[in-house]
Amino acid sequence: MNAFVIAAIVMLVAVIPCGIVVVRGKVMDAVVAYEAVSSIVVMALVLLAEGFRRSGEFELPVLLAVLLFGSGLVLVRFLERWL
Amino acid sequence: MTVQDIAADILLGLAAALVLASSVGILVMRDTYQRLHYVTPIALIAPLLVGLAVLVRSGWSANSSQTWLALLFVVIGGPFLTHATIRAARIREKGDWRASAGLDNQPPSGRDD
Repeated sequence: MNAFVIAAIVMLVAVIPCGIVVVRGKVMDAVVAYEAVSSIVVMALVLLAEGFRRSGEFELPVLLAVLLFGSGLVLVRFLERWL
Repeated sequence: MTVQDIAADILLGLAAALVLASSVGILVMRDTYQRLHYVTPIALIAPLLVGLAVLVRSGWSANSSQTWLALLFVVIGGPFLTHATIRAARIREKGDWRASAGLDNQPPSGRDD
């Protein structure tokens, strides 16, 4: 286990407080926590791919970053107008 | 352990501590606007530190290029998402995003009620 894997684990631990906000907070608070979690997960995937030296797995965070950005904007737009 | 390894470890430690502290900040703050301040370090500073750590360890390679591409999307998209979230929160709260919102009792835009 190297520093990259340890950093990924610490970042995944940091998802827990955001998860508490998602479960217990109001809708907009949950959206804020979701945005934080999405950034954390992208970084964790990068760190795990680098930590385990798997070149093929670097594509996953790239795709995830693009999709989470688009989905976040759509979600916020829906919350703004309809939900 | 080389100098590069030590530098990467320091950068990773900073990134992990920053993410952990910001995550706790999101938990303990009182409302949406205060919580949003703590998303910025996670979406802007921590990805840069992680990208630098990968760059220090791997140098310019396909891995570091894909890392920077992924983290670039996070860094560029973060402020847009934050702005859209603040706008949505204000519209849900005041009915309009403009500064004069809340002074008059207009119904929320885009809603039927």
